[in-house]
Amino acid sequence: MPVSPDAFRDSIISTALTRRAFVMAGGALFVSLGLPRGLFGAASGGQSAPDATSPSPIASWLEIRDDNTILVRTGRAEIGTGMSGFYAQTIAEELRVRPDAITLLMGDTDRTPDGGYSAGFLTGAANLRKVGAYTYQALLTLAATQLGVPASALTVTDGIVAGGGKTISYGQLVRGQQFDLQIPVTGKPAKVDAAEPWGVSGLDGLVVTGDPPLKPMSEYTVIGTSFPMPGTPDKVTGKTQWSCDVTLPGMLHARMVRPDALGSTLISVGALDRKQFPAAEIVRKANLVAVVSPSEWEAVSAAQSVAAGTKWTAWTGLPGSEGLTRAIRAHAWGKPDDSRGDAASATAAFSRATKTIAATYEQPYVRHVPIGPFVAVADVQRDGMTTVWTHSANSQGIRAQIAHMLDRPLERVVVRWLPHAAQFGRGTHAGDGAEADAAILSQLTGRPVRVQWTLQEDFAWSGASPGWLSDLKAGLDADGRLLVVQSAFYSPHMFDSRMLGAILAGLPGSASRPRNWIATEWPYDKIPHRLEQAFGMPNIAADSANGGLRGNIMRTPGQRQQNFALEGLITEAAAAARVDPIQFRIQHTTDQRLIDVINATAKAARWESRPSPNPAARRTGAEPVHGRGVGIIVRTNGYWVGIAEVTVTPATGAVQVTRFTIGVECGKIINPRQLDRCMKGGLVMGLSEALKEEVTFDSSRVTSTDWSSYRILTMAEMPEIEVVQMSRDDKGFGAGGEAPNALGPPAVAAAFFDATGVHPRRIPLTPSYVKTLLNGGARRTSKSA
Amino acid sequence: MASELTLTVNGATHVVSPAPETPLLYVLRNDLKLTGPRLGCGIAQCGACAVLVDGQEIRACITPVVSVVGKRVTTIEGLPAVWAAEQGVGQSDAGTPLHPVQQAWIDEQVPQCGYCQSGMMIAAVDLLAKNPDPTVAQIKDAFTNTPPSPHLCRCGTYAAIIDAVRRAAKAMKA
Repeated sequence: MPVSPDAFRDSIISTALTRRAFVMAGGALFVSLGLPRGLFGAASGGQSAPDATSPSPIASWLEIRDDNTILVRTGRAEIGTGMSGFYAQTIAEELRVRPDAITLLMGDTDRTPDGGYSAGFLTGAANLRKVGAYTYQALLTLAATQLGVPASALTVTDGIVAGGGKTISYGQLVRGQQFDLQIPVTGKPAKVDAAEPWGVSGLDGLVVTGDPPLKPMSEYTVIGTSFPMPGTPDKVTGKTQWSCDVTLPGMLHARMVRPDALGSTLISVGALDRKQFPAAEIVRKANLVAVVSPSEWEAVSAAQSVAAGTKWTAWTGLPGSEGLTRAIRAHAWGKPDDSRGDAASATAAFSRATKTIAATYEQPYVRHVPIGPFVAVADVQRDGMTTVWTHSANSQGIRAQIAHMLDRPLERVVVRWLPHAAQFGRGTHAGDGAEADAAILSQLTGRPVRVQWTLQEDFAWSGASPGWLSDLKAGLDADGRLLVVQSAFYSPHMFDSRMLGAILAGLPGSASRPRNWIATEWPYDKIPHRLEQAFGMPNIAADSANGGLRGNIMRTPGQRQQNFALEGLITEAAAAARVDPIQFRIQHTTDQRLIDVINATAKAARWESRPSPNPAARRTGAEPVHGRGVGIIVRTNGYWVGIAEVTVTPATGAVQVTRFTIGVECGKIINPRQLDRCMKGGLVMGLSEALKEEVTFDSSRVTSTDWSSYRILTMAEMPEIEVVQMSRDDKGFGAGGEAPNALGPPAVAAAFFDATGVHPRRIPLTPSYVKTLLNGGARRTSKSA
Repeated sequence: MASELTLTVNGATHVVSPAPETPLLYVLRNDLKLTGPRLGCGIAQCGACAVLVDGQEIRACITPVVSVVGKRVTTIEGLPAVWAAEQGVGQSDAGTPLHPVQQAWIDEQVPQCGYCQSGMMIAAVDLLAKNPDPTVAQIKDAFTNTPPSPHLCRCGTYAAIIDAVRRAAKAMKA
């Protein structure tokens, strides 16, 4: 029966609170989905359609139990940036409870309601904030009835409602009863869908709609505190169950035998020595080859032995990483995929410019390379019921891909999520990983199968963040102010969501479209004219048998690459104008939030104003030279500044970042300590990209396949890092987990220029590249006129 | 055929029958269900699999299980007992406190994804046994230049690790 629905009339149109039953023991309030009629039925081909008037078969968002504990469910996952803490804080704030009263269940497709990708806080938090707000209103309504006090006269502290001299806890409110609160949602379920740019729909999952009254940020007591991450004690003591820890009765361990070259196809599988490997078996489907065994070490050893005798067709078709720029340049480019600004006004502005700078910036393929390679367990049962254990950052998406690949109804596939090594974006679009391999092998063997990729396999076969080529041009007026900036960004595909297992086995997969876009959030509104264009091309060697170098997004995607080039050009323009590079940036923006964080960060860095390069800049000699440089980025309501201090030894080409000051203003800071961790960690990744990282390949295969050939920053190479955080209550939440990595390369490049007088327009700044650059041997594309 | 081996892990004795060249990591994880150490690179380049053998860090992914017979193997699951023994108090009851390194990892909120952190804590325990009060430079050196390879963290938690090692050093001296 409805409980005073009038209470919701003013602020909430379509929630419905009903008492389902009186119960003898326990009691709870369940918060579930009120789906628009037909939403799921229309989208998933005849699946029964829950609607706002029927009980939802899908798991609830939130359960408030009579022992005052609260279970929150979300289809999004913890990918290492702190979501498990932030979500608990967000719900706790709206419900007026302590965050440790909340247990979070994440990522399981059969036990969470919303789906969606796990790439950041903002979309997931927006949902949970509203869930909390709707629930809070319902709880006030219940309390008003129970206490006989109007809801407007009630206050809540730590889950205790007080009013009229009386108190009652949330647990007491639901005791002996079972309530159901339905809240309105919209959105597309995950589905393999060729109409979607990345081939799988439902990236955002279900989105809570309506406009429940939210707690004002100025009254926050939980958000803004450094609530510890709930999973940390178990991770530190060894109690966490990771996705690599799943074992099932009868489970086989598998190691894959991958093609010899990127475009090879199978000629014959090598022999399995049954004396040496008595329990092992070869499993094959088209070009997908694996060795399975109940013993993991036998699977490892037998797979190596079989691989040695397996024959693949020879294949060449890669340009070699040295030839990447040439290959991108040689593509038959058509119209831009995305464009901003006005070509005619930009051209006119260049004709008025007194000084023009043109430069080409290059970035190589880089990889996510988490410390733990891909792993998954699948159990495809004879009746078709399929369960996959994974650490994918998009459980519903990978579920849809598996169902599509195996030609099974979606409801016969369950994905269970467990923690594992961080994703850095590689799981966002629901592709890649060991899930497809595991599902195919389980179907073929009739047993649960655990597939563990090797590091070498991950470094050679996972999707990589593609290389970029950026042609930029700036025009300055007689006063040294920028009149116009023009950019053209060229990049191979970065949304290839296909699963490698499906490709190799020749099974149905998703199909995405290569598309580049302008990711920059333009910070320089005082530059009067601009033209930005982004051009996309297919994967390198896309037409080869296995899809070529599959491109995937990586942390701060697109904007990371574009910002490196744009900030590089701004640094060059500041030098041409002989203006301090921080001052020059402030001259070209009116955005006070940006100016404030630039000033605060510069102060913390003890920045002394002068133009770059350093008067002592030098490009030769065995003695080190010093420089400092700045880079900024504006991303998703976050304003970031990075100031690098470097030492360059021209004779050896060695670059050491000695100190880095990183500042952010991203609206209301949720968790200062975790933001500090994200800022420093992201920056370490950015410095690693600036100094060390490059996926190398020859004409046949990736050659950077371990940590000695794909190098990342070590602890000793990490500079002293100073963090500046500015929080404010009037601008909502901004993104804090991304962007720091995008600050590293432009700030380090600017500092390198300050130290040497040479603009580095390519990363990574490895010793050999630096020596070539300082000797004047690197490609010089800058022209000053 | 595999013969029986007797291993001492976290103070307990186990009899296992793996193929003799099996790396210790696979035995710990699959036979003894000690999942603290994890597979990273499999070639001793990252440190995710690190465990202590007679108090010294080794990389379990390349160490044949036969080579640790007769030695004491310690994983992060066994660190509280190690600390209890060093303090001369009883171990393995519910009240056994965490090793100060583990407590410091919690207090400093070191893990991001956490995948490499088991190996990081093992390296910290090894370092603090040799140098009870390391400087920042010595911590950086130990985590980078101790053979066979640097301890790598892709989330970039190095600064938090340094803070945690310094905190643990203080706690262990107290």
